[in-house]
Amino acid sequence: MKKELRLTVNGQPYELYIKPKTLLVEALRDHLGLTGTKRGCNCSSCGACTVILNGMAVKSCSILALQADGGEILSIEGLAKGTELHPLQKAFLDHGAFQCGFCTPGMLMSATALLDENPKPNKEQMKEGIDGNICRCTGYNSIIRAITAVVKGEYKEEK
Amino acid sequence: MIRDFEYFAPKTLKEALTLLDKYQDECKVIAGGQSLLILMRQGLVTAQYLIDIKGLSELSYIKSDAREGLRIGALTTHRAIEKSPVIQKKFSVLAEMERRLASIQTRNWGTIGGNICHADPAGDPAPVLMALNATLSMASLKGKRNMAVEDFCLDYFETALEPGELLTEIRVPATPPHTGTAYTKFNVIESDLATVGVALSITLGSSDGVCRDVRIALGAAAPTPMRAKQAEAVLRGKKVTNNLLKEAGEMASTEAEPLSDIYASEEYRRELVKVLVNRVGKEALARAKQA
Amino acid sequence: MLIEGKFTMKAPIQQVWDFLLEPGTLASCVPGAEKMEAIDDKTYEGVVKQKVGPISVRLKFTQTLTEIDPPKHVKAIGRGADVTKAGIFSQETTVDLTEISKDEVEVAYRSNVSMVGRLATFGERIMRAKVNKVGEEFTRNLQERLRSRIGG
Repeated sequence: MKKELRLTVNGQPYELYIKPKTLLVEALRDHLGLTGTKRGCNCSSCGACTVILNGMAVKSCSILALQADGGEILSIEGLAKGTELHPLQKAFLDHGAFQCGFCTPGMLMSATALLDENPKPNKEQMKEGIDGNICRCTGYNSIIRAITAVVKGEYKEEK
Repeated sequence: MIRDFEYFAPKTLKEALTLLDKYQDECKVIAGGQSLLILMRQGLVTAQYLIDIKGLSELSYIKSDAREGLRIGALTTHRAIEKSPVIQKKFSVLAEMERRLASIQTRNWGTIGGNICHADPAGDPAPVLMALNATLSMASLKGKRNMAVEDFCLDYFETALEPGELLTEIRVPATPPHTGTAYTKFNVIESDLATVGVALSITLGSSDGVCRDVRIALGAAAPTPMRAKQAEAVLRGKKVTNNLLKEAGEMASTEAEPLSDIYASEEYRRELVKVLVNRVGKEALARAKQA
Repeated sequence: MLIEGKFTMKAPIQQVWDFLLEPGTLASCVPGAEKMEAIDDKTYEGVVKQKVGPISVRLKFTQTLTEIDPPKHVKAIGRGADVTKAGIFSQETTVDLTEISKDEVEVAYRSNVSMVGRLATFGERIMRAKVNKVGEEFTRNLQERLRSRIGG
């Protein structure tokens, strides 16, 4: 028996009609066509599915969509403003903080959540911030360098 | 490959308990779902009726009282406990434990009550709560009851919760003076479940360094989180020395009942118990002396 | 997973052997065994229900007595699958009888259980502990049944 689900995703309100067993990642990808969020492991380990729900980084593959009812979601598609990339996205590009790119949406969302909570993390805190995201390609150092560059203010956003 | 289920999202505890009473064994309860959904996604757990209690905000709270101690609602997220100023100040071992639990994403949504009710013997909260002498409160339509954490965990992934019952609160008594509690776990990958976890709480006599009380709780070393009572007896009533802590570690190692699995052999787990009890004991002792 | 051990029975070896070989003795000692049906004098089909925590398993299995060397040695091979295909189990059990005296027998058992499938990968932590317990319960059941049938 399908249920109503109301979500605001990247500032846009949506109304969905879904089966209760639908996972949040499925609602985003299959029902809303927002395929930026990835399903990497199917065992809640990799973090590629990370989105920000009500201000908190969560693994969207490990949440029933209905549990997010009425909530506000920021997904990877919502980081850039039009054609203007988010500072973290610019930094990731400049520092080679991705190779295959599969973990990148989740990694960026975790990094965004980290900086939203703590704009000036030290290196240990940065590592902790991306602890729930696995990257097979980069070895993580370029990711930390990218985040560091943003923290240092090298990509000041024009507000 | 989750099978279809009928879904209820009660708004109050009373509503939730009424649903549980109605469906008894046929329903499953989901809180944060950080353990349950993994099993459901693989088709290992199926539910005909799923009662979603994540929305019961009345069960999400942290209350602290100088005399009574700490009261944590069962639906409080791990992250909230990790970041709580009062817990960081007065029950720092809980915040430290939460910090090493899984990852930030999991801690943001998963609840401490859900973790305890999942009853994984390798779980982090249970041994720490046992060392802190915590009690649990449960409610059903029939009424309420309390029990110690160690009585709640009956077997692998089995608790004393009856059908129709929900865990509502965790109570941690106020810390007695000259008490220190510490926790650590050994894992190969940071944020993994414990290969072995040890929580230890020691209370000293005022200035004589004699152990007046001690609780040693082991995780992933038995079918349930386990009190190493024989190891405790080694320390209780004696002046705690490095040698005595070593002895306690050896005793705990023999009384543990670990399994061999793909992460570690039974022998290695026993060795870990021996080393970690000693190590955590030293840390707890240092904290007790400063308290 | 290997489960093994031994115990002694105060009974003549032939009696113990006969009982062991009786249709369904070994199969009926399996904890959680529901239906048991003899296909022929060496083969059994049955259903086993087990629960550990949130995971319930309903196994359909077939057990066949292979090596039969009276009155000393018997081997049974079993294969089963969970009805939802979440896991496939296979099991090899040998029971060896050694005559200690005219009225005393040592029963040595050895059971090798393996499991593949989602239950094994995702449920390994949960199932492993359970398989151990089931093994212990099996041997207790065996002893009990032998003692109540034969005595001693």
